[in-house]
Amino acid sequence: MEASGVPPDAPPLLSIVGLSKSYGGLRAVDNVTLEIRRAEVLAVVGDNGAGKSTLVKALAGAQPPDEGEVRIDGKVVELRTPRDAEAAGIGCLHQGLGLVDALDVPENVFLGREPQIRVLGLIPQLDHRTMRERTIELLDRFGIHLPRLNDPVSRLSGGQRQTVAISRLLLQDVRVVIMDEPMAALGVAEGHRVLDLVRSMRQQGITVLVISHNLEHVFQLADRIAVMKNGRLIGVVATAETTREAIVRMITFGQTH
Amino acid sequence: MPSSQAIVASSAIGHADRRWIFEGLGLTLVVIALALIFTWINPRFATATNLINILTQASYYIVIAIGMTFVITSAGIDLSVGSLLALITVVGFELIKEGLHPALGVALMFAMGGLIGAFTGSLIAFVKIPPFIATLGMMAVLRGLALVHSAGNMHYGLPPSLTWIGQGSLAGAPVPVVIALLFALFGAWLFNHTRFGLHVRAIGGNREAARLAGVRVNLVEVLVYTMMGLTTALGGLIMIARIDSTQATIGTAMEIHVISAVIIGGTSLFGGRGTIYGTVLGAILLSMMTNALVIAGVDFFWQLVVMGVIVLLAVAISNLRERRISVLAFLLRRPGGAAASQGGV
Repeated sequence: MEASGVPPDAPPLLSIVGLSKSYGGLRAVDNVTLEIRRAEVLAVVGDNGAGKSTLVKALAGAQPPDEGEVRIDGKVVELRTPRDAEAAGIGCLHQGLGLVDALDVPENVFLGREPQIRVLGLIPQLDHRTMRERTIELLDRFGIHLPRLNDPVSRLSGGQRQTVAISRLLLQDVRVVIMDEPMAALGVAEGHRVLDLVRSMRQQGITVLVISHNLEHVFQLADRIAVMKNGRLIGVVATAETTREAIVRMITFGQTH
Repeated sequence: MPSSQAIVASSAIGHADRRWIFEGLGLTLVVIALALIFTWINPRFATATNLINILTQASYYIVIAIGMTFVITSAGIDLSVGSLLALITVVGFELIKEGLHPALGVALMFAMGGLIGAFTGSLIAFVKIPPFIATLGMMAVLRGLALVHSAGNMHYGLPPSLTWIGQGSLAGAPVPVVIALLFALFGAWLFNHTRFGLHVRAIGGNREAARLAGVRVNLVEVLVYTMMGLTTALGGLIMIARIDSTQATIGTAMEIHVISAVIIGGTSLFGGRGTIYGTVLGAILLSMMTNALVIAGVDFFWQLVVMGVIVLLAVAISNLRERRISVLAFLLRRPGGAAASQGGV
């Protein structure tokens, strides 16, 4: 795995400062402060209930935090709805990917943002040609070639579907992509394609935040690893400077060394 | 480029997906085969008069079934079409007979269809009543209102300007058939080439994903049922203009006929996928069946039984279809096909 090429002292793209979120009496995320750099792949790991999902939902605008703030390029952003997150350049790739199986690839990429042309200068109609051309462009950025764009996405493989979902995000010019267990349901070969996809996102200057249970994938993928336990951030370590054993210790015992 | 031609050609048929072209072709062959069988059984079936009669009879089912294609593709259903048709036509007919200008009467029928459809859609989208229950309730309410309005009364005697819609001819073709054909072209365009059509397919396919993508799912749903009401008004207009009469019991069991046409045509009962071309063929196929049964002297009650069996068969086949079609698509896959379909744009 190549080095990310980002100087370690580069200013953070995304800063999370003192973020907390409680559900009833349970403090799901407890005063987390974390800086994420431009074009870095940061993995968030931890046991079930460690607070990973809650942290990420706060960033995605799905569950606003109780306390704390999020800054992008040093500016505080309000993330109260998914639309806010989208406007701030944060895109979220849900486990379900949010695709409509019955629609084809360009329709999925453009759903909700369809370009239109006017027939006879008057009647709006979908601009299928532009949708198709821009979809091919987006896929080309990842060197991905889907054989039949007009097929419903239900007939694509898991990795191809993920590519379609990411193309959707790129259409909105996202700067941060959040991936929730991206390789959970994929076979080995498909998993490798997702790894390639994440690397090429990073090469294009996109910051990727990955939640994963699978330490093998995390070590192949991430520049840095953030470990959470019981809602607190135990530590953030550079992947190159740690071992799997050290991470497992952090996950289970909350020890930073 | 070959592929852009293919896209244009296929979009006239339905969704720009080879699978639908296979299915469209398959259904076309079934319709032709049935026509040949009916003719073999009774040569009277194939007379020009009878074939035109079949198409004319199919015309209002085609129109209403196109509305139903949008409804079913949105993962909904509408059981109230027959009752709505009865209410619209008895009210419209009577007012026109009492001296209301025919154009105003027709406008009123469409307004009723659209408003009642929007109301039904609102029950489903906002009050969250499942479509089956909401339209079952509306089926009773609307039929009841039609009976209250003109219990037992038969209305007849429309002005010639209106009977022309059902009985006239344009360039040698029956007006109802011309209207149905034009409306089918419009429907296919709306379904495949507009934002509305895409959003209907999206909410039927995955409502939550559509919502997250920014589709205004409730609005689209209300519009789908509004359109259903408008197409019911158009179908009702053609129907009463053709038979020059109506009564409160008209359109009984019509929902069976219309829903069958849509399902036989290949639209998925689970939502998300549909085809206007298939619906048109489905409606023609059902009219052929009914006609053949009439020629054979089978009475209406037995026709209903046959129709019911056809619906059940159609649903059973549509459940099996997914697998069959993927196998077919796999077998017909060409190694070079991928490059060809991508290169043309």
